[in-house]
Amino acid sequence: MNIAPDNKKRISNMKQQLALVSLVVGSVAVFMSASVLAHHSFAAEFDADRPIELTGTVTEMRWSNPHGWIYIDVEDEHGDVVNWALETRAANGLIRRGWRKDDLPAGTVLKVEGWQARNGSPTASVFSITFTDGKTLFAGTSNPAVPEN
Amino acid sequence: MLARSLISLMLISGAVSAQSLPRTTEGSPNLQGIWQVANRASYNIEDHVARHDMPAGRGVVDGGEIPYQAWALEQRNANFSARAAADPLSKCYLPGVPRMMYMEFPFHIFQTNDHVAITFEWQQVFRLIYANGEPPMYPGIEAWMGHSRGRWEGDVFVVDVTDHNDSTWFDAAGNFHSDAMQLTERYTMLDKDTIEYAVSIDDPQVFTRPWTMRMELHRQTKMDRILEYQCQAEVEEANGDFERDERVWYPAPIPDDNAPFDAAAGSPLPQLSVPAEVSRLADGTPDISGYYMADAGGANYGLEARERDFLMPASRGQVVDPPDGRLPYQTWAREESNDRALPHRGYDDPTAHCFVAGVPRSHYVPSPFFILQPPGYVVVLHERMSWRQIPLDGRAHLPDQMRLWQGDSVGRWIDDTLVVESKNFNGKAWLNEAGDVISHAQTVVETFTPTGADQVIYRATVADPIAYTRPWTIEMPFNSQDEELLEVACLEDNGDLQHLKDVRDEYRARQQEEN
Repeated sequence: MNIAPDNKKRISNMKQQLALVSLVVGSVAVFMSASVLAHHSFAAEFDADRPIELTGTVTEMRWSNPHGWIYIDVEDEHGDVVNWALETRAANGLIRRGWRKDDLPAGTVLKVEGWQARNGSPTASVFSITFTDGKTLFAGTSNPAVPEN
Repeated sequence: MLARSLISLMLISGAVSAQSLPRTTEGSPNLQGIWQVANRASYNIEDHVARHDMPAGRGVVDGGEIPYQAWALEQRNANFSARAAADPLSKCYLPGVPRMMYMEFPFHIFQTNDHVAITFEWQQVFRLIYANGEPPMYPGIEAWMGHSRGRWEGDVFVVDVTDHNDSTWFDAAGNFHSDAMQLTERYTMLDKDTIEYAVSIDDPQVFTRPWTMRMELHRQTKMDRILEYQCQAEVEEANGDFERDERVWYPAPIPDDNAPFDAAAGSPLPQLSVPAEVSRLADGTPDISGYYMADAGGANYGLEARERDFLMPASRGQVVDPPDGRLPYQTWAREESNDRALPHRGYDDPTAHCFVAGVPRSHYVPSPFFILQPPGYVVVLHERMSWRQIPLDGRAHLPDQMRLWQGDSVGRWIDDTLVVESKNFNGKAWLNEAGDVISHAQTVVETFTPTGADQVIYRATVADPIAYTRPWTIEMPFNSQDEELLEVACLEDNGDLQHLKDVRDEYRARQQEEN
């Protein structure tokens, strides 16, 4: 995690982030009314019957709104590499919490858990994104039903 | 003697001319009003002859030609050839600055001490220009419309526009820039109905030197409000991607088998008290300006209390009248609401297409918003790129046939509460992702009551005889924070819509097979 504090707000946000990181990774028990920026029904797009668990290498992050997208290369059981699109919280929410574009460089290895899109494409709504050392990225993730942990 | 008289005469006439400009109480020229260019710069900022879809026009570039580097001139020419599909505006993407300023749509400038807001008729775009002398809270965050900081230099309003992306063009002819572009805009009032708009472009990656465009903005003296042009919504209605709903879109009639609408029903709500420490404007009205986020409690996922269901979050329930917290639906509308909650209907939610959210949804989508109180208005800028402008001059609503996504709002202060009445809706909006129903027949009365230094209690009473049996009211706090708005370029990155469409199309194909 490359932290380049460039303003006061960011530093205090980062401190909050680091405090949050010390919580148990993957815990989704603490429900908070998160101010996320949903603009479409996640329940309509993603499938509760298609839980996924992936480990892959970041190829790009799009810092977009109302949702950001992280793209990761994941090797499937046949050895083929599939580029998955993972929907994250809105870029604006991440920016207000102190994250910046350089914080997630290509090549970073991530482990994610979530649900696949109903249309079967390699797209997922994720409830947990962690680095290989277990630290949580973006305080969990993407959709409004899942609390920030 | 004669020369001296002439000079003093010139000085006097100069002074008269400067004095005849409308000015704010602080003495700056008052730019507030509705403005529009009268040129063809949006087609091509250089001199150009007529072509298909492009009327002829004179250029607005000082010296005539844009000083492109050689490679960039080739790129511009390639853009020109491919313009029909390559112009970002052909996809209804945000036009960027300066292009937004000279499109053939009017815009409204609002002016306070600390801010100048510009609301555009085109797709409810706005600019919020911070003129409070503070450094930006989020420097370096790239945006389609850039980031604007303004200041007065004498009688000239000077705006630095930074942090552009490289995805916008200057015009429909392919004139372009890089993300290194820095703009300096100068707004000089020439007389009460004319502003000279000059913008200097500095982008060493694309041009050989800085250059300037110059044009006049004309006050639209016959317009009393700007309307809407929802570019993408119009495209999708025309091509069938966004389907008409005959039951709720204007001019749907009240269904024959509806229960009678009891307009007088309603329980009195607790009176809200306004504490003495609430800050006030010079005219004594409460100052509710600033950045807000609704404590919406899941209103965007249901206005009635509900538990979380897979990825649909819980809602604490915002309905305060009827007292049971239930929306007083007509039977058909309750059934429709339940149907909209099914996965194959997710595509039908207008906000999934990045269309504007309507009223009251714009306040709880959830995204922050910024309230301004320029003279005679309350203006709300929603971060998700839409605005509401609420005149306080007691004017009548638009004629009934004029229908808008955000409706037509008029407001007044009653004691210390801002009361806003909105009608003239087109009925295209949903109340939330859960699919709560609203029709074009809705009238909304909203109240904004400051109950603390950093809080406004918001209530909205909706009367809609097509979808409901009686009026109902929701309530939620709006909390103010020391924050700035960022940009939501929704349409430009809407990766979800195709997925939702696939789910709908697969459902329809299955239905067809079964029949």
